[in-house]
Amino acid sequence: MLLWLVFDLVLIGAIVWLAWAALAARDGFEMIVLFMVLGLFVALAWVRLQAPDVALAEAAVGSGITGALLLKTWRHRRGRAAGDAAADARPSRALGFGVMGLVTVLTGMLAAVLVLIPRPAPSLAETVFANLAVSGVDNPVTAVLLNFRAYDTLLEVVVLFAVVVVVWLLGDAEADRRAPRLGSIFFGFARLVLPVMVLIAGYLLWLGGFAPGGAFQAGAVLGAVGIVLLLGRLYTPTAADRLPARLVFGLGTVGFAGAGLATLALGNAFLGYPPEAAKTWILVIEAMLTVSIAATLAGLFFGAAPSGRPTRESDR
Amino acid sequence: MIWSDPSTMTPEIMTWDLPSLVVILPLLAAVAAFLLPSAAVGIGLGATALVGAASSALAARLLASGPEISHLGGWTVPLGIALRVDGFAALMLVTTAGIGMLVGLAASRSFAAKGATEAPAEERQRLFFWPLWLLLLAGLNALYLSSDVFNIYISLEILGLSAVGLAVLSGKAAALRAGLTYLFAGLLGSLLFLLGVDYLYAATGRVDLASLGAIDEMTPALSMALVLMLAGLAIKTALFPLHFWLPAAHSNATAPASALLSALVVKGSLYVALRLWVDVFAPTAGLGTLIGLLGAGAIVWGSIQAMRVDRLKLLVAYSTVAQIGLICLVFALTDEIGGETAWQGAVYLILAHAAAKSAMFLAVGRIAEHLGHDSLERLHREPLRPGMAQVAFALAAVSLIGLPPSAGFLGKWLLLEGAMRADAWLWVGVMVLGTMLSVAYLMRPISGFLRFDRVEGPVIMPSRLDAADLWPLGLAVVAIAMGLLAATPLSLLAVGSPFVVPEVVP
Repeated sequence: MLLWLVFDLVLIGAIVWLAWAALAARDGFEMIVLFMVLGLFVALAWVRLQAPDVALAEAAVGSGITGALLLKTWRHRRGRAAGDAAADARPSRALGFGVMGLVTVLTGMLAAVLVLIPRPAPSLAETVFANLAVSGVDNPVTAVLLNFRAYDTLLEVVVLFAVVVVVWLLGDAEADRRAPRLGSIFFGFARLVLPVMVLIAGYLLWLGGFAPGGAFQAGAVLGAVGIVLLLGRLYTPTAADRLPARLVFGLGTVGFAGAGLATLALGNAFLGYPPEAAKTWILVIEAMLTVSIAATLAGLFFGAAPSGRPTRESDR
Repeated sequence: MIWSDPSTMTPEIMTWDLPSLVVILPLLAAVAAFLLPSAAVGIGLGATALVGAASSALAARLLASGPEISHLGGWTVPLGIALRVDGFAALMLVTTAGIGMLVGLAASRSFAAKGATEAPAEERQRLFFWPLWLLLLAGLNALYLSSDVFNIYISLEILGLSAVGLAVLSGKAAALRAGLTYLFAGLLGSLLFLLGVDYLYAATGRVDLASLGAIDEMTPALSMALVLMLAGLAIKTALFPLHFWLPAAHSNATAPASALLSALVVKGSLYVALRLWVDVFAPTAGLGTLIGLLGAGAIVWGSIQAMRVDRLKLLVAYSTVAQIGLICLVFALTDEIGGETAWQGAVYLILAHAAAKSAMFLAVGRIAEHLGHDSLERLHREPLRPGMAQVAFALAAVSLIGLPPSAGFLGKWLLLEGAMRADAWLWVGVMVLGTMLSVAYLMRPISGFLRFDRVEGPVIMPSRLDAADLWPLGLAVVAIAMGLLAATPLSLLAVGSPFVVPEVVP
């Protein structure tokens, strides 16, 4: 027990220190790397809080994909930010301390009120477990996300779709979006890791039915496969890929909403799966979500609607 | 606005799950419009019309048989999520689809395909307006129907992201800068709201509005949750002094986008705040007075800024700040004797402002298109007078000021009546002051329209009636006509009103 206490204290200390270090970092690259490490430590904290599903999502999306997006943005801005006085200007010291004071007071109030809540705190966990048997899956988190509150998840998938629409609206298609030329070590790495990652994504998807895992985690891992492909120029999207990309981006929304319409046509409530086939419905929906989320995340990393002709062999 | 007669509908429609459909339909259409850019206009207008028809049918069904609840997935609350439709929600659904239709028609003309001469920026506007508008429509409809605070959070995210997309549609540097501020402000608002949701769940173990509304005792955690959620919503609604993002975001967007942002988007979060305030939390007198004071501040500050700025679009944007303040006075009045009347007035002001402000932004867009600028100082010197757009602007102004018989008049009258019945003379004074200020700033452009003595050279009036002027004019007429045809909306609003003892829903 004491060992865990020490571990937890070290973990808390590390999280606070990393957060501070990330904020205090002067260099953009340093800041991003510290932020990604912070994400991994927060994922560890989620494990300690017995929320492995959240931990997986935090590590894959919060730290991994977000970090990749931040690094990509950093590289994109590096060329032009130099000399941009407005971007380099830091807020005054007085303002910094003012904001710090305000945030400290607010955090103190939030913490005090949280402590005042009587324990054990009421929750819906019992209701979820009471209905788990009829949900079609054994993992309570998947049961909530894909069955009890499937409508929430549908709208979350729509949020991702909205993001990629806005990115395509804003992305500068003319800019050279090719990744930097990478050395031979990278290709050896990619050759080893890519097939394993695809396998892990499939495994996480299947795992979601009865253990921590599911469409979002699997989608993030599969999305990382896309990012590695883009980074190594193993795949360079061209204008011809626009329509397939649009199709896959929309697949999550259309598949999920279509499942809802199908349940209505069956005479059930919206997204009310037939109980005996609930597992199949959930798995099919999750498979579509995984592919769509992966493509969306990789598409966000690419950052624009692809343009240009197919790459010539000599470019590789 | 057309209200279908329930008796003429086929019984089949009467049994459809219309609440789910008004959310799902625009979602599917958004994907379709993104997938098939060449058919986006048709998909966009068709889907908006269908959603309008479904919303009207739903409203008719409500008038006939009372409020409705759809339990999604067949799970009852608190385990599942329910869509709840009462009169307020139905009224917002119909208004949103109706205004969206007219703005969409205006957009279909201003973003028309131009063939080979089309600039990349124009092509982008034409292609992306429709998916973004349809996502916005889905987000708003989801928001109106949601009876679950976490679900409201996700709906707010859809709304916020598609709104930012619309704000930067023009691709101009000023719009991009304003859009980034808008995005950050919106995310801050969302996160505060989500933090409030966390506190609610931590304190009560519930996220559905029905369970939350049944809790009588206000604990510190509940108060904290309420304050956090209202603060987040205040940022998104641009309530003074958290309006800092609005003028730039709304005035730099392209005209149809400005119309949607000002008419509908800020009302989405205001709707949620009003619903939480009236349906869920027992109104807290001190907090209500504080929001009312912020509303008064918004009226004064927004009006003064509107009197100072030099751009017509910026004036209209600041007018939104002031009008939001006017509507927010209701938070100080719901707990009083005239609470229900004041609430009706606020709802009617939301509808009136939606119609009038979308008309005004479209009209300003037309005026700027004709003149090539929207400088207030130069209006009265311009020989070119786009008459129809100016008429639309003036009619919209009639409703914003609250002159009879407009919808703005009716809303303001009800709000005033509520305040007077509560003997809240301070708020009556604020409303009177706000009305005078709105006359003052709206007369700046209107006097520019009507002055001819400084025109250099002969006055030119576009002789031919342009179809593009019809849509702002139509919206302005709606803003007036809703004051005359108020009986149906008001009786719809009474269906499932939180101020009467709720009927038992089978």
